[in-house]
Amino acid sequence: MRRAVIPALVIVIGVLLLADLLIANDSLRSVADLLVDAAILVATGAALAGVASLASRRAGDLWRRRGDPVGATGVLAGMALILVAGLRPGAEGAEDPAVGWLVAALLVPIGATLFGLLFVTTLAAARRSVAMRGREAVLVVGIAIVVLVLLLPIGGVAGDRLAGAAGWALSIPIGGVFRGMLIGVAILAAVLAARTMLGIGAADE
Amino acid sequence: MPTPAEAAERAIGFIRDILGASSLRLDVGPTLVVLGVLLVLLQLVARPVSRWITSDAGGLAGVGRAMALAAEAGTDAVVSLGTAGLVRSTDAFGRLQTVAAIPLLGHVARAAARSGVAVRVLVNDPLAGVAAAAALDAAHESTSTMERLGRSRVVFVGEGRPVAAGLVMTARARPAAAFAAGSLREEGTLHLDGLRGGAGALTAATAEVSQAAAPLLAAGSGLIGPELFQAAADLRADANERTMVVAANRLLVLAVAVVVIGSVLALAGVADPTELLTGTGRP
Repeated sequence: MRRAVIPALVIVIGVLLLADLLIANDSLRSVADLLVDAAILVATGAALAGVASLASRRAGDLWRRRGDPVGATGVLAGMALILVAGLRPGAEGAEDPAVGWLVAALLVPIGATLFGLLFVTTLAAARRSVAMRGREAVLVVGIAIVVLVLLLPIGGVAGDRLAGAAGWALSIPIGGVFRGMLIGVAILAAVLAARTMLGIGAADE
Repeated sequence: MPTPAEAAERAIGFIRDILGASSLRLDVGPTLVVLGVLLVLLQLVARPVSRWITSDAGGLAGVGRAMALAAEAGTDAVVSLGTAGLVRSTDAFGRLQTVAAIPLLGHVARAAARSGVAVRVLVNDPLAGVAAAAALDAAHESTSTMERLGRSRVVFVGEGRPVAAGLVMTARARPAAAFAAGSLREEGTLHLDGLRGGAGALTAATAEVSQAAAPLLAAGSGLIGPELFQAAADLRADANERTMVVAANRLLVLAVAVVVIGSVLALAGVADPTELLTGTGRP
C-alpha cells in the first residue's frame, strides 16, 4: 500500500507542476504555490533536524568520551559562535557584520587552505593512476602533460605557436568533448527527471 | 440529492469553467513541442531496460562481491552522495545528481543488506539524509532484513562542499568499499582521495563535466558524465534479462549492417539487394 501511495503522490504533484508550467490558471497557480511552499517547509524542518542531530551527536561524543573530542569541540564551538553572532539581541541574522566577518575571516580561508591540498593530491593521484596502468587514467595524464607543455610560458615565435596550439586544443577537441558530454548529460538528466516525476524506480527495486 | 444527469452536468460545467478561466502560457506550437518531448521521454523512461547500453561502466556488477569481502573483513561500506545535496543553495544540475545517486545507494544498500554489511551514508544536506535513510529502509525491507537496519546509519557531516572533503580526509574508519555518487566540484579530487585512502575499493560517479578526470585518477574507473544518470536505469538484478538485451542488440547491429552493406552494394551497382532477396531480377 505504502509503495503505491508514494509514487501516486509523486505523479499527481509532478503533473500538477507541469500543468502549471504550461497553463496560466489562477487556481492551478494557487495549488502549485501551496505545493512548493509545503516542500520548502519540509526542507526547512529537515535542515533544523539535521543541525540538531549533528549537535546532539557531537555533544554525545564529548559526554561519553568517544570519537574525536577535538573535532566535536570544534563543531560545537563553531555552531555556538555563529548562533551567538547571528541571534544575539540587536543582531541582523545572517546579514549581521559579525557573521559576515566569521565567514570571510575564518570559513573562507579554511576552505581555501583545504583546496591548497589539491596540488599535492592531484599529482599523487596522477602518479598512482600511471602506476596502475589504467587505460583511461593514462590517457588523461598524457593529455594533461601535452596541454601543460603547450601552456609553458615561452616567449618568441615558438611561444606564440605553442599558445596558439593550446588555444586550439582547448577550444576544438577538448571543448568538443565537453560539449558532447553536456549534451549527453542533458538528455539523460531529462529522462531521469521524467522517471522521478512519474515515480518510475530502478528495475531491481 | 442531484440526479446522475445533474451531477454529470455540474461536473462538465465545472471543467468548462476551469477551461474558460485558463489560457496557454506558450503558443500552441511550443506547447505541442513540450508535450511531444514529454511523450518521447515517457517512451524512453517506460522501457524496462536500456536497449543500447548493457555495459557495466562503473563496475556496479561487482558490488555484491565487494559486500562479500566486507562481510568477511567485518567492516562496513561507505556511500557518499556527493556535495550538492537536495536543497542546498547550488544549481539544479548538481542537486539532480543527488537524486540520480539515490538508486545507486539503493543498489549498494540491498547488496549490503543481503551480506549483513553495515552502510554509512555521508551527506551534507539534511534532506538528502532523509532520502538516504528512506533508501536504506527500503533496501532492508525489500531484502527482508529489517533486523539489520539499525547497524546502518546516515551521517550528516555539516554544510558546505569543503566540509565533506575534510571529513573523509581525516576519518579514521577503514571501510572495505567506498562509493561516491553525485555532484563533485572543486573538492572532487580531495573527496575521492580521502575515500580511496581509507577504503579497500572505490567506485566514483559524477556528471560534472569539469571533474571528469577526478574519478579516473582517484578510482581508476567510474561513471562519468551521462553514465551517472544512465546507471540507475541499467541496474539489473537478473543476469538473464541483461543477456537478452545483449542478444537483441546483436540482432539489431546485424540488421543495421545488412542494410548498410546492401545500400553500398546498390549504390556501387554491384548488386541490387531487393532483386537478390525477392528474385525479381532473374532473367
